[in-house]
Amino acid sequence: MSDSDSIKEKWKKYRNPGYQDKFDYSWGMVIDLDRCTGCEACVTACQAENNLPIVGEEGFRSGREIKWIRIERYWDGEYPDIKLRFIPMLCQHCDNAPCEPVCPVYATYHNQDGLNVQVYNRCIGTRSCAAYCPYDARSFNWFSFTWDKPLDEQLNPDVTVREKGVMEKCTFCIQRIRQAKDTAKDQNRRVRDGEVQPACVQSCPTQALVFGDRNDPDSAVSKLAQNPRGYQVLKELNTNPSIIYLKNL
Amino acid sequence: MLNLNRRDFFKLIGAGSIGTGAGFLLGESMKNPVELLIPYLIPPEDIVPGVATWYNTVCNQCGAGCGVMVKVMEGRAKKIEGNPAHPVNQGKLCPLGQAGLQVLYNPDRLRNPLKRTGERGSGKFQEIPWEEALTTLADRVGGLSGPGASDRVHLLSGRAGGHLDELFSRFMDQLGSRSYLQYEFAHPHNLYLANKLLFDEERLPYYDIKNTQYLLSFGADYLTSWLSPVHHGLSYGHMRQGRPGRRGKFVQVEPRLSLTGANADEWVPAKPGTEGLLALGIAHLMVRNGHYEGDDQDKWSRALDEYTPERVSRQTGVDAQRLASIAEEFARSRPSLAIGGGTAANHTNGVSNLVAFNSLNYLAGNLQKPGGILFNPPSDSPSLLSASPHKSQAPYARLLALMERLSKTKDSLLLLHHCNPLFNLPDTVEIKAAFQNAGMIVSLTNFMDESTMMADLVLPTHSYLESWGDDVPEPGVGFPVAAISQPVVAPLYDTRAAGDILLLLADKIGGDVRNALPWSNMEAYLKSAWKRIYVEKGAVIESSTFESFWKAVLQAGVWGETGSKDAPGVRISGKHLLSQLAYEAPRFAGDQEAYPYILHPFVSQAFHDGRGANLPWMQELPDPTTSVVYGSWVELNPRTAMHLGIREGDLLWVESPTGKIKVPAYLYPAIMPGVVAMPIGQGHSAYGQYAKGRGANPIQILAPLTDVKSGALAWAATRVRITKTGERVEILKTDGTPRELGRNITGKRITMIPIDASPGELASNRVTGPNKG
Repeated sequence: MSDSDSIKEKWKKYRNPGYQDKFDYSWGMVIDLDRCTGCEACVTACQAENNLPIVGEEGFRSGREIKWIRIERYWDGEYPDIKLRFIPMLCQHCDNAPCEPVCPVYATYHNQDGLNVQVYNRCIGTRSCAAYCPYDARSFNWFSFTWDKPLDEQLNPDVTVREKGVMEKCTFCIQRIRQAKDTAKDQNRRVRDGEVQPACVQSCPTQALVFGDRNDPDSAVSKLAQNPRGYQVLKELNTNPSIIYLKNL
Repeated sequence: MLNLNRRDFFKLIGAGSIGTGAGFLLGESMKNPVELLIPYLIPPEDIVPGVATWYNTVCNQCGAGCGVMVKVMEGRAKKIEGNPAHPVNQGKLCPLGQAGLQVLYNPDRLRNPLKRTGERGSGKFQEIPWEEALTTLADRVGGLSGPGASDRVHLLSGRAGGHLDELFSRFMDQLGSRSYLQYEFAHPHNLYLANKLLFDEERLPYYDIKNTQYLLSFGADYLTSWLSPVHHGLSYGHMRQGRPGRRGKFVQVEPRLSLTGANADEWVPAKPGTEGLLALGIAHLMVRNGHYEGDDQDKWSRALDEYTPERVSRQTGVDAQRLASIAEEFARSRPSLAIGGGTAANHTNGVSNLVAFNSLNYLAGNLQKPGGILFNPPSDSPSLLSASPHKSQAPYARLLALMERLSKTKDSLLLLHHCNPLFNLPDTVEIKAAFQNAGMIVSLTNFMDESTMMADLVLPTHSYLESWGDDVPEPGVGFPVAAISQPVVAPLYDTRAAGDILLLLADKIGGDVRNALPWSNMEAYLKSAWKRIYVEKGAVIESSTFESFWKAVLQAGVWGETGSKDAPGVRISGKHLLSQLAYEAPRFAGDQEAYPYILHPFVSQAFHDGRGANLPWMQELPDPTTSVVYGSWVELNPRTAMHLGIREGDLLWVESPTGKIKVPAYLYPAIMPGVVAMPIGQGHSAYGQYAKGRGANPIQILAPLTDVKSGALAWAATRVRITKTGERVEILKTDGTPRELGRNITGKRITMIPIDASPGELASNRVTGPNKG
């Protein structure tokens, strides 16, 4: 079998339906746009939980902001028949993630839970993954950001502070997942539905964001994903995101 | 003074029950902790490395009174989340509430008492010891108290709820002064007055957005700033998708599409100030079409006779057909709910507008019904639960009177507590002049804000995460609720809690004042107050001793009287309404020829009334509808802008009859052409490194018009003109292209098909984009 055939073979396997079933868990999210008000509570929650830097006015001016979740808003129509639609955008943890095959050092890969993860220690900063990400979910650390003292007292000790030259993005709050899995393992059971909530999900006032295990057919996420309003953003790219959006009515 | 070192401190904490906070040891004991290693061999309970302890307390970032849970690791606050047990926010929290950590750890926190050394307002201060500061103040206060003190001693506070409010009134009573006011820019004075006029209740009812079927909101930006945004968020989610098969409809009437308006099914831009007329037009149609079934139909149809759809449509600019469809839907949907706030409630006819909105609720039968307006039952515990944060709130007219007294009286003393009138009142009030004339200004605060710059003595207070306090959320949630806030971390600096400062002062003044306020600190005072509640409500409290009750409340962060009955005594009769119904046309400052645009200021989500501007997270949080960060802007309809030859980023003079500010233009596609909008919050000339010198403050140029009935500042009643300065700046914003351009990101073109799991099906169901075959 030639190299290209073997790659094709693997690729097919990778894309087979049911591939995710082999994962311990398959974390996913459902975002109900009919509930989302665009209030950005999730944005601040994420910034607090994951030690996202304060990049400053100059940082914004040069496009160096780092956000793992943002609210995109789109205008539709003209005054007075105009609509404003909001959509929270974060790493989609695609099953067929375009960022993964392009990393020369395997800094970004799929873990055993179906998460698209970023290994900061491996990252050499080629930024290929960001270029390939159709959701613009990745941010690059152009600087080693610092916190004016004593704002650094707030930093979450469960999350690494990233340095210059490293790519970063939403992890689905992997530190919370790890903690829940550890607890579950100690008690010899699986993680219960609702036991893990990433910071954004926890804070959402309208409960538009729901997180859980897609391998568990009884989880809230699995049930909501069946909703006829469901869709995946940029589905035509076949990235097969782990995030199902429920369309705004 | 207790002699405790750090290790003992943590040990003692460990001995307490989990969640009862660091606070019960604070006060005098923790001023200068000795740095010692923590014994990790047998670590104290809340110092296990990597394991967090959560403490419940109350958010103080706005007036909603959400319960919060603070994650503390190794003595440091790491994250604020909502308290799931608190009925107001049920575990959820807004961005500003979460940024409370940056109040605590803000680099610009005041750390020591300061005495003015230079000219007043020059910002030159010198650090002095607490003893000196308190003695100076106590001497001064003692000398001024007694008969006639109301003219000489004044206390102006920001929002202070629960027993801090009571402590302030007691303290001022003892001094013989009745000049104790609270001032908050966004306080809904008009809503309280409208409720008093209609229902004889000077309290806020519960707006049951959660269970309503048709929500008609007149300018109430209830998802970002109106009353209790987080609670409304919960309700909104439920209204839309929480009831299988039933999705509530939501219509928003406002001249500029707010975040709340963006979530509405229909946006109705009506001419500013005519919202009440629109409501009366809807009421007219409801009565005419036989939707009102009361026995005083004749009176109503006579009272509403003049508000014909033709007239209303002409004056409000809302199409008659649309008016009819809203009236029909509002009347037919059960239950429906009309609410009003924001600019619609803050024109010169704000109260009259609010009365008109409530007439819709009356006609549709929404009062005291689930999904409509529910009146909060008062508690039968007089000590706490009848407390209302409204009673000390001063409308604009009373603030003017205060400023006048300050300018006229010699040797007066003004105590400021977490209040920044220099930022939150228009320039016409001439606070600076009044302050210059004041005998002495003392500011109890966390930050060097504009008003504190003018102070002679600055007493740095604990942040709310380091203080004791309590709070009764208003509006309530249908049953009486109270919450205690406790210190979650040891104080970072040599600061004192505001309550403690007052009690220390009382002790120094001595005599009757000391006897009336005998408590050693705020915690003791709070405990004595809650002991009264414990006694009054003993029957429904399960705890056998006060101590166990107190610990239980601290642990839960909240205490509620869920078993209480329905609101008695609320008069729901049409008579009150009918007598108040007449529509008043709004007045505007500035002649339409010279000042062609109506200024629409709005309370921003991130900064509230400006208090959040010193929090870097809030500066970096993109404005939800424009995505602008780090700055302010003035919104113009693109057509208006084209007409004036204005592009985004053109620096403009926004000039009212009373002042002008320089601010860049932003072309906002969802604002009425005759209206220009500006967010409130930026434009600080002090207030720390993150806030200072950024953007402009629209409150500055507001004209001094007030509501005819309430005397509250009519902050939506100013006209402005716009001229180009010729300069241009870059507006920092995070959005890319503001349109979807066929990318179908928000899913609006998706037909309702079940999600297909397999890639094969995925391919066959592929959405066809504009560039695909």
